[in-house]
Amino acid sequence: MNITIVFRKELIDALRDRRTLTGALFYPLLGPLLMFLLFSVIVSTFSEQADKLLVLPVQGAEHAPHLIEFLEQNRVQIEAAPADPETEVRLGNLDVALIIPASYGDDFRAGRPATVQIVMDESRQSASVNIQRTEGLLEIYSGQIGALRLLARGVSPITNHALAIERHDVSTPQSQAAGFLNLMPYFIIFTVFTGGMGIAIDTTVGERERGSLEPLLINPVARAELVLGKLGVTLVFSLFAVVETLIGFTLMLNFVPLDELGVRVDLDPLAIVGIFLMAAPMVLLAGSLQMIIASFTRSYKEAQNYLGLLPLVPALPGMFLAYLPVKPEVWNMLIPTFGQQLLINQLMRGETLNILHVLLSVSLTLLVGATLTWLAIRLYEGEQVVLGR
Amino acid sequence: MIEVQNLHKTFKKVVAVDDVSFTAEDGHITGLLGPNGAGKTTTLRILYTILRPNRGTARVDGYDVVTQVREAQRHIGVLPDSGGLYPRLTAREHIRYFGRLHGQNGAALEANIETLIKLLEMQDIAERRCEGFSHGQRLKVAIARALVHQPKNILLDEPTNGLDVMSTRAMRGLIRRLRDEGKCVLFSSHVMQEVSALCERIVAIARGQVVANGTPDELRQATGQANLEEAFVAVIGSEEGLML
Repeated sequence: MNITIVFRKELIDALRDRRTLTGALFYPLLGPLLMFLLFSVIVSTFSEQADKLLVLPVQGAEHAPHLIEFLEQNRVQIEAAPADPETEVRLGNLDVALIIPASYGDDFRAGRPATVQIVMDESRQSASVNIQRTEGLLEIYSGQIGALRLLARGVSPITNHALAIERHDVSTPQSQAAGFLNLMPYFIIFTVFTGGMGIAIDTTVGERERGSLEPLLINPVARAELVLGKLGVTLVFSLFAVVETLIGFTLMLNFVPLDELGVRVDLDPLAIVGIFLMAAPMVLLAGSLQMIIASFTRSYKEAQNYLGLLPLVPALPGMFLAYLPVKPEVWNMLIPTFGQQLLINQLMRGETLNILHVLLSVSLTLLVGATLTWLAIRLYEGEQVVLGR
Repeated sequence: MIEVQNLHKTFKKVVAVDDVSFTAEDGHITGLLGPNGAGKTTTLRILYTILRPNRGTARVDGYDVVTQVREAQRHIGVLPDSGGLYPRLTAREHIRYFGRLHGQNGAALEANIETLIKLLEMQDIAERRCEGFSHGQRLKVAIARALVHQPKNILLDEPTNGLDVMSTRAMRGLIRRLRDEGKCVLFSSHVMQEVSALCERIVAIARGQVVANGTPDELRQATGQANLEEAFVAVIGSEEGLML
């Protein structure tokens, strides 16, 4: 009963606080927004360059008419190279240029490897597609001519291949997309820890700083009821933020033409609900931990400094996950927030979850959250909380 | 009625309250007079259940403030030193919040709130959010929320601190009015004139100990000083921290 009174008052108070409210509405969308921009850029560079006619400045095209003809047949538009292609490439005016020396014809006829030079700047990411295409075409041409030469000498070109390498990619389209989407668990954890942060600070150290904590504690209300009422509002805001983030990600995935990357994402509603259910237990842990930390600080500002760093701790393994795929194991589930990140990752990949993993992770995180809540109540039953340190 | 017996409180190694005993009767105004840092606020904080004493007992209408916390809390109305408000709640919402926490609700609560708003002449600020309130306006809200459950015992920590002359007069009027309603009023002050103007009984505290306890006449007699000011300086032992 008293919990409801405290909860209602804190909820109204929070909803009237523009600073908290804009934070609560905007921050959860940060992740989806960033990823939307990231994907948009990747998609546009990829799709633009792959189908486009490759414009290739060539110096000394007249020395290798057959090679030029081959290139032109493969969607390359040959241009006369500027006088100093190296400088132009270095300055970034050209992605890549080809130099065919005068000795090409003699070497070619004599059956010696004929030198061609690719002028490129490998440090320039935006030129890499054009560089790779040029290199690839030259290698194909080299291979074709080599094979013809072997045939002319009565040798099967197959003798030239000691190994037959076949690529057998077992990743499903979903798991390829998940490679890009590995950042998502990081953003969800971030949201869990930032969604209710403002409330956790305002209702604890904020209340003490304003001098309203002492009058509040004089009322005939169990401290546990005060703590739970305040924590409740923090939890509501965190959960709302998580929902907002998930909606943001769903919208993002619908708007970005990921299939142009050759990547198909299929986050069905069931997976989204699953992700929410995995994230929900962390909300209790985050909220109670924030309450405790904030209660030990002297001011709103100081609490903001500490709590601002807090989301980075559980998010570190998440950032690792973006680069190192980890196969979930039982002991991973014993670490609150880390287990959830692995499970969320699996859901995103369209994998089925191990029930034992889910049970372990959820129950342990809830247990830690409940313990922290109990500690927060104990803290508010003491004298120190009123006096500050 | 408030009964304090041998109250003792230390913070780490600092003795804040050292064996304090006194009684504040119903229908009387009792003043806790002493210089800054004498232990007045600590004594009050023990009485209004925010601090626990190391030794000694304190009772409000017979309820022990340590072992019967909730009952004691129901019988006191407190204006603490830090009477902070919620900047985003209106004056009326402040009173309503505390009323609800005291178990009131519905029409009875709203009637109580209305009475207090009239009594404290805060009709003009009742629906305004407290952000930007003047010191006097903030004090009215703090008093109203402390009285919403109609407590028999009123504890006020330096209630006139920082008030202008008009507000001080209004505050004194309110304190007398509460006394006339038969309440037990206990307030602390370091201003001698305030205490002598209002109190039936004076408890003088210095260095955590009660150095004098009685009516103004008794104090004058005990110290042999005709002047109350001189009497206080005599019992407290110095003028330091005391406004005469």
